[in-house]
Amino acid sequence: MNYRTNSKRVGSDARPILAFENVSKNYGSVQALNGVSLTVNRGEVICLIGPSGSGKSTLLRCANALETLDGGLVLFDGQPVDVTNATSARIVRQHMGMVFQNFELFPHLTAIRNITIGLTTVLRLDAAVAAERARKLLLKVGLADKADSYPAMLSGGQQQRVAIARALAMEPALMLFDEPTSALDPETIGEVLSVMKVLADEGMTMVVVTHEMDFARRVGDWVVVFDKGRIIEEGPPYQIFEAATVERTRDFLSHLGWHEESASDKTAHVKTKPTKPRKTGGKK
Amino acid sequence: MTFQWHVIWESLPRLLDGALMTVWLSVVTMLIAIPGGLVLAFMRLSRLRVVSLPAASFVEFFRATPLILQIYWVYYVLPAYFDIQLSQIATAILGLSCNISAFNSETFRSGIVSIRKGQWNAGRAIGMTENQIMWHIVLPQAVMRVLPALATTWVSLFKDTSLVSIISVADLSYVSLKIRSETYRILEVLTAMAAIYWLMGYPQAKIVDWLHRRYKVTE
Repeated sequence: MNYRTNSKRVGSDARPILAFENVSKNYGSVQALNGVSLTVNRGEVICLIGPSGSGKSTLLRCANALETLDGGLVLFDGQPVDVTNATSARIVRQHMGMVFQNFELFPHLTAIRNITIGLTTVLRLDAAVAAERARKLLLKVGLADKADSYPAMLSGGQQQRVAIARALAMEPALMLFDEPTSALDPETIGEVLSVMKVLADEGMTMVVVTHEMDFARRVGDWVVVFDKGRIIEEGPPYQIFEAATVERTRDFLSHLGWHEESASDKTAHVKTKPTKPRKTGGKK
Repeated sequence: MTFQWHVIWESLPRLLDGALMTVWLSVVTMLIAIPGGLVLAFMRLSRLRVVSLPAASFVEFFRATPLILQIYWVYYVLPAYFDIQLSQIATAILGLSCNISAFNSETFRSGIVSIRKGQWNAGRAIGMTENQIMWHIVLPQAVMRVLPALATTWVSLFKDTSLVSIISVADLSYVSLKIRSETYRILEVLTAMAAIYWLMGYPQAKIVDWLHRRYKVTE
């Protein structure tokens, strides 16, 4: 196995799907990522948190071969992702769904066509088969009645749910969420998080960059804290939110108004999920 | 001063033939210049300089020189120095097509580059190839966005076809000016010519405006 194994989470059934090994990325003189290593196992929900510009989103973009690396390696299903090889990058992207902060729906296509376009062009599915799959997904995200609406006719929350359905349509092995609720009005954040929670409960592997600490705490299996292009702390949610060992983590959380004593009775956007047995099970 | 409008009524069949030629020239030119402009735009956007440079040179030449010169050049230089004999109509179509292709290519190119990078990334994220993204995602939005500019070019083209009268193509201008020289009724003929151009040109501009409103891409 080529994967770097994260000793803290090694369990008998841990099956890595995505691994970052010492990944570095610079934008000019700015070091966006500085030697980041992280393993994502199948079925896990990993939440990346940290201040803006700390490298969380860049890491997702590296996973999806949207960025070239300045150092290190990204492994998908044991194979190195080669950004410079268009075919290899495309195959990897097909197996990873990506949801963007600004939705990036195709404005000239209806909701259902946004979902079917990848199916008919990339997977070369028959139009009727593609439409069938798209309708099921629209139903799943609660937008069955919006199939023929154009993105401009939908609210932000609805657009983001269509974007999630578009990514799911490709039947990805894992989903990457890049601040999926940051561009939304507060009243529509909940509907998007609910859809994401359903996915998590179904066992979808998810990497979520988020500022929604309630979501990270209640849905995440593992929380990774970024600062200045590095991982400064990682652990299960209860540890990060209630017993962070790194000063900078506590600092960041307190700036968000997160207080340990009030954590348990915060009104959440997402209903508390039934305690999900950790697949990786490794307790320290 | 007396007006002799009967001159116009008597010449009406010839004027209408000329008008038909004007319409035909415009339509054929645009049918060539839309794919022509797209090809030039794609070439100019290419990362390969051997592809982009010829397109850029072509476009900058035809945008920066007068159409009348281009028509003359095709008419006189091609046969004299390259031994290429074209009919007057073919000459007119060639000159107009090169010119309008150059303008269309800049229109398409500005539309394509105006589509934000996120749309490309969204296409890549579902595994589409760069060509599929261009064809299914970027180009449709770009074309909608530049429809008004294409419409402006069309309306200009419709009037600029009058320049082909200098090489004796029997369009509306040529026929009108011929009738004028036969009858010496300058005011009547020019007025009729203006009226016919306007009657044909104005609805076209309105139709294109309507197309734009109808197919506008809202974000």
